[in-house]
Amino acid sequence: MSVDVPNTKRARRQAKGPFGSIGQVIDELDDRLGVAKGGRTFMDKIFPDHWSFMLGEIALYSFVVLLATGVFLTLYYIPSQALVTYHGSYLPLDGMRVTEAYASSVNLSFAVRGGLLMRQMHHWACDIFVGAIVVHMARVFFTGAFRKPRELNWSIGLTLLTLAIVNGFLGYSLPDDLVSGTGIRIAYSIILSIPLAGSYVAFWLFGGNFPGTAILPRFFILHCLIVPAIMVILVGAHLGLLVRQKHTQFPGKGRTEKNVVGSPMFPVFMAKTTGFLLIVTGVIALLATFAQINPIWQFGPYQASRISYAVQPDWYMAFLDGALRIWPSWSFHSFGHTIPFEVTIPAVVLPGIIFTIAYLWPTMERLVTKDNELHNLLDRPSNRPKRTAAGVAVLAFIVTLFFASSTDVIANFFHVSLEEVLVAMRVLVLVTPLIAYPVTYKICKELQGVHGSGKRKTPNAVSRTSEGEYVATPTPVYVDDVQHELEPTEVPRFIGAESNEPEELSGTRVVDR
Amino acid sequence: MRVPLFKRLVLVPTLLLLGLGPVVLFAGNATASGHSPYQTTRKDAGTPNSTIVKKNASGVVISYGDSSIMYNAPSSALDTLGEALFMQNCASCHGTKANGVPASGTSGAYPDLVGLGPATIDFWIDSGRMPAANVRAIEAPRRFPRLTPDQALAVAAWVNSLDPSYPDIPTPNLAKANVADGAALFALNCAACHTIEGDGDALAQSTFAPSLRHIPAFEVVEAIRTGPANMPRFTGNLSDEQVNDIVKYVTTEIQHPENPGGFGLGGLGPVAEGFVGLLVGVGILALVGFWVGERE
Amino acid sequence: MSDHEQRTPVHLEGLAPDDPHLAFASRNPQQAERVIAFMFVLGMLSVAGFGACYWVNAKPWLLGVTLGGGLSFLGIGLVAWGKYLMPRGPFVEDRHELASSREERDALAAAIVQRGGGVIKRRKMLGGLLGGGLGIFGVVAIFPLLRSLGPMPGTTLDTTDWKKGTFAVDITGRRVHQGDLAVGSVLTIYPEGLQETDRGQAVDQTILIRVSNESFTTEKGRESWAPKGYVAYSKVCTHLGCPVGLYEQELQILVCPCHQSTFNVLNGAVPEFGPAPRPLPQLPLYFDGSGYLRSQRGFDQAVGPGFWERS
Repeated sequence: MSVDVPNTKRARRQAKGPFGSIGQVIDELDDRLGVAKGGRTFMDKIFPDHWSFMLGEIALYSFVVLLATGVFLTLYYIPSQALVTYHGSYLPLDGMRVTEAYASSVNLSFAVRGGLLMRQMHHWACDIFVGAIVVHMARVFFTGAFRKPRELNWSIGLTLLTLAIVNGFLGYSLPDDLVSGTGIRIAYSIILSIPLAGSYVAFWLFGGNFPGTAILPRFFILHCLIVPAIMVILVGAHLGLLVRQKHTQFPGKGRTEKNVVGSPMFPVFMAKTTGFLLIVTGVIALLATFAQINPIWQFGPYQASRISYAVQPDWYMAFLDGALRIWPSWSFHSFGHTIPFEVTIPAVVLPGIIFTIAYLWPTMERLVTKDNELHNLLDRPSNRPKRTAAGVAVLAFIVTLFFASSTDVIANFFHVSLEEVLVAMRVLVLVTPLIAYPVTYKICKELQGVHGSGKRKTPNAVSRTSEGEYVATPTPVYVDDVQHELEPTEVPRFIGAESNEPEELSGTRVVDR
Repeated sequence: MRVPLFKRLVLVPTLLLLGLGPVVLFAGNATASGHSPYQTTRKDAGTPNSTIVKKNASGVVISYGDSSIMYNAPSSALDTLGEALFMQNCASCHGTKANGVPASGTSGAYPDLVGLGPATIDFWIDSGRMPAANVRAIEAPRRFPRLTPDQALAVAAWVNSLDPSYPDIPTPNLAKANVADGAALFALNCAACHTIEGDGDALAQSTFAPSLRHIPAFEVVEAIRTGPANMPRFTGNLSDEQVNDIVKYVTTEIQHPENPGGFGLGGLGPVAEGFVGLLVGVGILALVGFWVGERE
Repeated sequence: MSDHEQRTPVHLEGLAPDDPHLAFASRNPQQAERVIAFMFVLGMLSVAGFGACYWVNAKPWLLGVTLGGGLSFLGIGLVAWGKYLMPRGPFVEDRHELASSREERDALAAAIVQRGGGVIKRRKMLGGLLGGGLGIFGVVAIFPLLRSLGPMPGTTLDTTDWKKGTFAVDITGRRVHQGDLAVGSVLTIYPEGLQETDRGQAVDQTILIRVSNESFTTEKGRESWAPKGYVAYSKVCTHLGCPVGLYEQELQILVCPCHQSTFNVLNGAVPEFGPAPRPLPQLPLYFDGSGYLRSQRGFDQAVGPGFWERS
């Protein structure tokens, strides 16, 4: 600033330039980093507004909640299997010898202020995170957003799903309670079942025979450091690719393969997305308030000879549990070796096949449709009946496996025999995809024939002329409707001006902010 | 409309399977092979190993136990009432001599009640399982009892008088119980069938482990000591002090859980949590997303 | 916003002042602003309430309601602001061609192929040796990551701690006596001294059932294994290792609670239903002179789930 600025408020303000302090900050940053042009482009970035694009944001923001609440939890949880005597406010455990991991988790729930809320928020956020990823993935699949050029992003997303499931399993096993400890026992046996290398990998991973004392500290490091670090990097790559390739959009007025229509990043999209972050956090907090999840104090500590009935894993692992329950007991035993196919196939081979098909789907679809074009416009699911039907069939298969993990709960609820439920599940897991495919295909074909499906209905104003004739004219009811009939326009450019009077340039106007 | 042959070959059998499946599922409970309902192995159900034993003038044990649980034989004054009630409510199946031979003659079809001990009879009647609602069901569920507790005691007194046996009617002293020991014993011995939260679940071959949410304290002791239906009996392998601890744990933590985290979601564990997380959690957020975004 | 404040006037280029793209979505912006302000106020109070509840150590549900409700209100207000009180658009931007031009691609390919190729062609042996070295490093780098984590399995999975003459004890360490169990009773037993250890509980755990008053034979060759009707099976399920703690007295079956494998107690724990592939190994028992229960020897096979080396 020059020395000879008179010391009045107006003069000082004018000396700062037309944009005040913010302008000065931008000057300083740009001198050092050259961010002005990029920042401007970033602010003008257009984000399509369709509601189904919010599903990925649910996943992203529940991930943020997981990181934040997770940091809180790591400050109190002790990842040690050394035995301590619990002395705390929960009487049924008082005086019991439990692992430090369990004792610290119970203390976190009862003795740490806000600890139970944080623990429950963390666990609910995880269930919602994986659920949102699945729903988001379904949206991407059914609208064909995985096609060129976004195949890499599809693979990154699938990897994120796998890591989320794995991290969820690692996380709920950390408190070392009876239910999750049983899950670790089952995981050990699954690793053991791998032919040739199983016992070696199991012994190395666990530091010996089950249970050992090494597994919880290792789960802790994997769950809190290694896997989240990989996930943060992958989420960054996922969003980076999204920014670079720009978001896809549905076909509509003014939308082509070569543009993006929607709201600009600043201020509209930032407002909506930050608001959505707050709402996601709020909903998770409210869920954590009113619905109890994983009451580890009721389950008691894990001891290898204790077991509870009705122990299912968390829902995103339940499809594996369901597969393990319904698979027949095919064990191969010959030449002094055993391959426990009743474990290896449902727990190792089946998820391997499902995820391999998922990873290869973009390539397979490209080969089948012989379509090597770039696609930035999305499909309506009903316009691609074969893909939609195949996706629904696979989903039906996995959902049936999910239900198959609650065979005992179903038998208890409906008062039928456990054996009948199991046999029914074995039948259903094969039958539901076979039915889902043709039914979905038919529905898609029907929707294709419906005129104007998926579009908003325009109301008609019916008026009667004096001759008694009825005339219907389309009429917009809300301002929204007008807006949807508009051709998209470029983001208006703001240019600075110092005068207080509006200039009469064509196309310019003064906006008081 | 001409349906291609392949589609027909696939569709028809799968539809048939899907249609018949529920029929098979709900066709009613088949009886387990070779076992008649309610049969209990009995005799030699464990002798009392107690510090306090009281006998009457004729040397018959009228009560035994210790500071944790006292077992009392029902008074013989109740015998006449008990006999009348038995003839009215039970004899049509269990026979006029309570030996499982009903008047209609098919011997061995219904359990022989002689020598089972008063606690067994008292448990079955007090929990409403007897008189049986459906004699062909694999397991009799808990219902609102048809006889009052005093009437149940009277029936137990009369049946016991035919061939006096153990265990007698228990009265647990919960003030002396240790709920932490009870939690540990429950987890090792009871959770495998009744689940760790005590909600019960379906077992094999149409049998069920019942929920423990509404059972009074003395019935818990009776069930543990007598092993009703498919439940194993715990006699010498659990001392009275240990049984008392379990009873305290069941009647406090199982039946009145603190649930500081909110609604207990029925104690179903991750199954219920999954439903709530997906339908309520993701559902509400998806609806919010529907509001935030556009519909075009 | 107050009219008295000085604001910096700015200019817009490219749109008329009354362009509908710049209109708000709200039909009644004053009303919308009031509602959003109310949301923000509720949110502020609620979040402040969270602070207050935390200060006085209120119950968890109060903390949760104030935090969740407060953030939700703030979020709803902010989304409403962005949706109803900001320019509605729609706005458009062009996608730049992602792909570079043919010349640029060729230039990159040429740089790699010609520069790299030229170097390698002249020093093929060096390239090969470098590749070999890095390759070997890649393989051996995995060794500490795997092998240092734990021991080799050896024969650890093949045996338990039940030996000739081991006393059977319950979880409290009390030895099992022949008068302890009535017919229909069940008990979890461990080798004496190991009931509190990991190995004792995870590997050696055995379920003891009294099925009759007399000696009982489950299979040919096992006549002496179940004295006085006490039958003992390994409690580790042969499917996935869960403790098979569920005994049904009348049906005489053991059910594994995890995946509902059903084992017949009377004929050697043969699996009748469910995914378990093998019977539970049976422990041969005997009663010593004082009437205490002891094992004749260990199990005749490995307990628990299957693995490659299991013969």
